[in-house]
Amino acid sequence: MKWRKLNKSQMKIEESAKKAKQDKQPFQESINEMTGNLTADLNLIRKEIGHNSDVTFREFQMGTTGIRIAIIFIDGFADADVINNHILVDFMSASPKETGHPLKNSSLKEYIKNQALSVSGLNEIRTLKDITSGVMFGSIAILVDGLEDVFLVGGAKVKTRNIDEPPTESLVRGPRVGFIENLKDNTALLRRHGKDQNLSIISSQVGERSKKELVIIYMKDIVDPHLLEEVKQRISKIKIDDVHDSSYIEQLIEDNFLSPFPQVQSTERPDRVMGALMEGRVALLLDGSPFALIVPVTFHMLLQSPEDYYERWMAATLIRILRYFSAFISLFVPSLYIAFISFHPGLIPTKLIFSIAATREGVPFPPLIEALIMEVSIEVLREAGLRLPKPIGQSIGIVGGLVIGEAAVQAGIVSPIMVIVVAVTAISSFTLPQYNVGVALRILRFASMLFASVFGLYGVVLFFLLLCSHLVRLKSFGIPYVSPAVSFRLSDWKDFMIRVPLFLMKRRPKLLHPKDSVRKR
Amino acid sequence: MTSSSLDRITSYQAVMFITNFIFGAGILTLPRTTTEKIKTPDSWIAIIVSGLIITLVAVIILKLCQRYPDETFYQFNQKLLGKWIGSLLSLTVICYYIALSAYEVRTMAETTRLFLLQGTPTWAIMMPFLWIGLYLVQGGVNAIARLLEIIFPISVLFFLLVMFLGIELFEVDNLRPVLGSGVKPVLKGVTSSSLSFAGFEILLFIYMFMKEKNKVTKVPLLGVGIPFIFYTMTVVIVIGSISVDVVLSQTWPVLTFIRSFEITGLLFERFDSLILVIWIMQIFATYVIALFIATLGLNQIFSKSTHAFIYSLIPLIYLVSMIPKNINEVFKMADMISNFSLYLFFIMPLVLFIISKVKERKYEKM
Repeated sequence: MKWRKLNKSQMKIEESAKKAKQDKQPFQESINEMTGNLTADLNLIRKEIGHNSDVTFREFQMGTTGIRIAIIFIDGFADADVINNHILVDFMSASPKETGHPLKNSSLKEYIKNQALSVSGLNEIRTLKDITSGVMFGSIAILVDGLEDVFLVGGAKVKTRNIDEPPTESLVRGPRVGFIENLKDNTALLRRHGKDQNLSIISSQVGERSKKELVIIYMKDIVDPHLLEEVKQRISKIKIDDVHDSSYIEQLIEDNFLSPFPQVQSTERPDRVMGALMEGRVALLLDGSPFALIVPVTFHMLLQSPEDYYERWMAATLIRILRYFSAFISLFVPSLYIAFISFHPGLIPTKLIFSIAATREGVPFPPLIEALIMEVSIEVLREAGLRLPKPIGQSIGIVGGLVIGEAAVQAGIVSPIMVIVVAVTAISSFTLPQYNVGVALRILRFASMLFASVFGLYGVVLFFLLLCSHLVRLKSFGIPYVSPAVSFRLSDWKDFMIRVPLFLMKRRPKLLHPKDSVRKR
Repeated sequence: MTSSSLDRITSYQAVMFITNFIFGAGILTLPRTTTEKIKTPDSWIAIIVSGLIITLVAVIILKLCQRYPDETFYQFNQKLLGKWIGSLLSLTVICYYIALSAYEVRTMAETTRLFLLQGTPTWAIMMPFLWIGLYLVQGGVNAIARLLEIIFPISVLFFLLVMFLGIELFEVDNLRPVLGSGVKPVLKGVTSSSLSFAGFEILLFIYMFMKEKNKVTKVPLLGVGIPFIFYTMTVVIVIGSISVDVVLSQTWPVLTFIRSFEITGLLFERFDSLILVIWIMQIFATYVIALFIATLGLNQIFSKSTHAFIYSLIPLIYLVSMIPKNINEVFKMADMISNFSLYLFFIMPLVLFIISKVKERKYEKM
């Protein structure tokens, strides 16, 4: 029965598809070219897009000639300045009489192009489809009576915000600029930041329905051509109707969707993008998204901050080591706590175990439940603070962190040591400069807690081995995710844990196979 | 990207392969196994002598491999011995590696049960360990090499640190008299201490994967040299600290040594369980390499490249590892495996080397 039903419905779908095809056939033929008769053409366009309330038709005459002209644009989307100060002024004051005789079609067109219209971008199109799509994307269509060609002028003028310091990646020292939602502004920012003639910006389109512009940015003489080819290929394989943000692209081009680790770096900072390009990486910018994507990325790069290079080398080195240390803490401290307390109390110094045991006396739960209660509640707090407006978010932090923590200890639900462990863990996870790495470590922390609660220290080691096994298998665009830590290469270690003084960093990281490996200084 | 798709390893990674494969569960019992036959504090001399011999054998293996730079042992032994004998030898080698990895896993489970997880069943300890190895081996030779590079510094530095924390127990008197009963007992011990270096033969299989094949003599030298120094140091420190008699009476002399001192004022006071936890990583490395070599062999003999072999090897390793009933039988198994490796990898490479030389001569005459 079911099968039969399925079959029937399938047939229905096929039928409707056929019908749609038949319907489409005459429609496609109707995308005919403009006739040159203004009234007829306007009617045709009206039929197609006239039902939209924001599409504006404006008809007027060309100077004193009496030639009728119509412009079509979207109110508020098309550049009003171009319409008022250029198109209307130019046409209304045009006086093509100097030639003496009435203008023929061809010379009228040349006259408009060469003498009348004072705008930089001008396209000539004929088909209805081009006109409607052009208007819909913010251009202004100019129809002239007697001309089959339609002029498409200008582009959308979008209200953009100012260039601010990005809130997600603030630095103590360094340029205070971040990308905004407008692609053209972003690429201009990059050009201004990296004054290098080899900076290449090539454009492509993504999205089946809503076509968005995606640009691939790289240094022509540095980037590994294989890498570039790979990036282009993956982008060309994207099949989706709409991309709302560059994070869509990230998820569609990443290597392993099952991995908790981000395999594409996202950033709002032009200086960070420039730094990556100079190393031979490739950046992607999507129109409408302030986040640039950088590929390939390794785990080490995700723990870097641009500030590592702006600070002097000693401070930068110490901060890097600190960051690795805090990554370790945020991943392993709760699980080590569970392992030691519930499996190997004998390994802890005697005095310490006595004080821990004393504080845990009234706690009714095993360490795993205790840790889970606190870890989950701190995740809830974090999520709650994130979505709320800033002043309320802060008070949530105080109420949650201080009051609940204190009260939970007083009530005997958790031990004070546990509160310390959780707080240290949470704070160390904030030191990671990229938000999505912090998220990955948060997920993995729970896994390591489970391992520890089943197998104790042995479980922690198992988890470490599993994590390492995963990391060594993971690749981002052909580059091993664990490099430069391994495979060992001394020149790449100059910029690993220790950030050597800048004058010693003469070569680009070899792990990216750059074409030109010497940094020009 | 071109280089990564071919799955090549650097010579540093090849050294890691050899060193990590020689290390393994053996080091925890090393002072006892080497002293058992000698019964004098001279086992460190035996280690030095056997280390030198092993280095020589390793270099011979290298010379053998250099004749067939793009093939592993499984492939070139068919050229030397004919298809059938070659395949048979390969199968024997595969069995050896299955047994070896089973032994490593079982030892790990036994020590873990003894020191960390009393009461947890052996199978429960072994299962996740086996699965993680399965996951890693699917990543191929590059992934394994990278993991070794991560594991090696962590475990070795930690081991060294702990060894030197106990240096205050060290008394030179425990090592005296040097050669008190003559050279004979030392010579007797050379065989057993050579066996602790079993694993150097890995070069037969990984030479094919190496990127730079020009200056490779340092690979066997370093690969055997690191464990050589490490072993000598361990034996000297352990015997020097807890004397020969104690070493002979203990199952895990290294762990006994580490247990015999306490450092107050540090985060931890006792290190025996900790060193075991760290050393589990080394055992994992040995197990993974053995599993990889066995899979590689099956793939190459049947000239198929599928993951099916790995999946079928895991239950096999589990079954083999469950054969010994108690820890003493595990040690018997270890003896059998190492005696077997003596014939397989000390004598066979020499034979193969001679055969290849002879064949070459013939070829030249013709």
